[in-house]
Amino acid sequence: MSPANPGNSGNPGSPVSPLDPGEDDQSLGGVHIKYLHHCPRQLWLYMRGYRPEARSDLVAFGEVVDDTTFTRRRDVDLGEAKIDWVTAGAVVHETKSSRAPSAAHEAQVRHYCLLLERRGINVRGGVVHYPLIRRTTDVPWDDEARDLAETAEADAQAVIAAPTPPDRLTRGKCRGCSYLDYCWGE
Amino acid sequence: MAAVGRTYWLTEPCRIRREDNSIRVERPDGSPVRIPITDIRDLIAFDNVDVNTSAMSLLSRNGVTLHVLDHYGNHAGHFAPAESMASAAVVRRQVELTADTAARLAVARSLVLTTAENLRWSLDTDLLAPALDALRTAVPTCEDTDALMGQEGNFRRTGWAVLDTFLPPWLRLNGRTRRPPTNAGNAFVSYLNALVYARVLTALRSTPLHPAIGFLHADTDRRRNTLALDLAEPFKPLFAERLLKRAAAQKQLKESDFETDVGRASLSKDGRKKVAALVREELATTVHHRTLKRQVSYDELIHLEALKLVRLCLEGTPYKPFRPWW
Ligand code: SF4
Repeated sequence: MSPANPGNSGNPGSPVSPLDPGEDDQSLGGVHIKYLHHCPRQLWLYMRGYRPEARSDLVAFGEVVDDTTFTRRRDVDLGEAKIDWVTAGAVVHETKSSRAPSAAHEAQVRHYCLLLERRGINVRGGVVHYPLIRRTTDVPWDDEARDLAETAEADAQAVIAAPTPPDRLTRGKCRGCSYLDYCWGE
Repeated sequence: MAAVGRTYWLTEPCRIRREDNSIRVERPDGSPVRIPITDIRDLIAFDNVDVNTSAMSLLSRNGVTLHVLDHYGNHAGHFAPAESMASAAVVRRQVELTADTAARLAVARSLVLTTAENLRWSLDTDLLAPALDALRTAVPTCEDTDALMGQEGNFRRTGWAVLDTFLPPWLRLNGRTRRPPTNAGNAFVSYLNALVYARVLTALRSTPLHPAIGFLHADTDRRRNTLALDLAEPFKPLFAERLLKRAAAQKQLKESDFETDVGRASLSKDGRKKVAALVREELATTVHHRTLKRQVSYDELIHLEALKLVRLCLEGTPYKPFRPWW
């Protein structure tokens, strides 16, 4: 895929614009959940087509790793996230280039579990892999996890549907965000 | 800006070919130069280029724009990637805002006033104070962009006359002429303005905005990317007039840097190189940005300016055009 245009390649198929009511609002991908966790404002901007990361090498690398979007249009294809089929169930494996395990990564995996389950797949759980620090985090899949995943999905949809963007985070929390020039370059 | 890659300036005739994931630039003299495609943000051709489709598709796939300047420094056109970053949500808002007279005038007025302030700043003179006062009085009474452009033209004429007082006779503008520029000073300004326009266009293409939907310039402008024309305004004095004044003061320009004919002038081969070097250096100059809390280059300022318009369209944040703060 072309690193210059990841917004048009690996990302959520044709991203569902909140302004297009005809589209299926269920097809949120892992990217959306990740952004929701990082900063709701980022999710809002992303959905309106502002995607500065499209031209950053660093993120281009991240994109490949994160290319885990799941949409109706594709079959059970979680991109880079791999699915292991253990006896009568699926385990979602997601690999992160990051050195720091985060709640957002687990949320992303839970989101995939939710999507798989909706397609009638018996989901066992997930694992986040951090090859750079040789660690893994187990993500259980149970009623509580399902609640979390459904809440995250609803939160994301609420953010996306809002007419105005969520406020900025505090300046310190924006460090490293590819939207920084946009949010703070006044 | 977040963008990786740099602007490459092609000041000599050359051939552009593809070699794996690199662009190979072949010049008549000298061995070919290979540039990894990821290292290129845009190319600006000052002279003839011969480019084939294989190179063009590599450029396109990597979001690289090739700008072409004609012999007189006018922006003759560009080859742009097939995919643009434009987003329906933003463009729709951009159309609404530009169709709303009040919103459109607010942006257009601030562009005209700020550009005039920037020209005064660039020439670093009190001689423009009366003209600036007159403009400040006139701008609020302008009820459409034509009237604003008229006022801006008046101020600009005064500005150029003042600029002439800092220039040696051979470099004076003696009135701005464009197609073609009639003398060396005008040729210099034309090139610089075209370069600013090219940089602005590249910056806009990395945003979800549509470069052809502008606020100040009329839709009937012969160049269709009126938003790029708008956004170039506040930067032109910083690059064109200021560099001309400085180059004259430091005696950086020679008559041999220009090819002058009766009623027409353009940069010579050496002149093109010199101007490319001047601009490159200028674009790389950095200043400390207060809210980003880091050094930003003049080139990034252009990118940040484009983002301000994205904020206007997405969030209704009032657009305050760039003004040097240093
Ligand atoms: S810069 Fe800060 S406020 Fe803006 S999207 Fe990034 S994290 Fe959110």
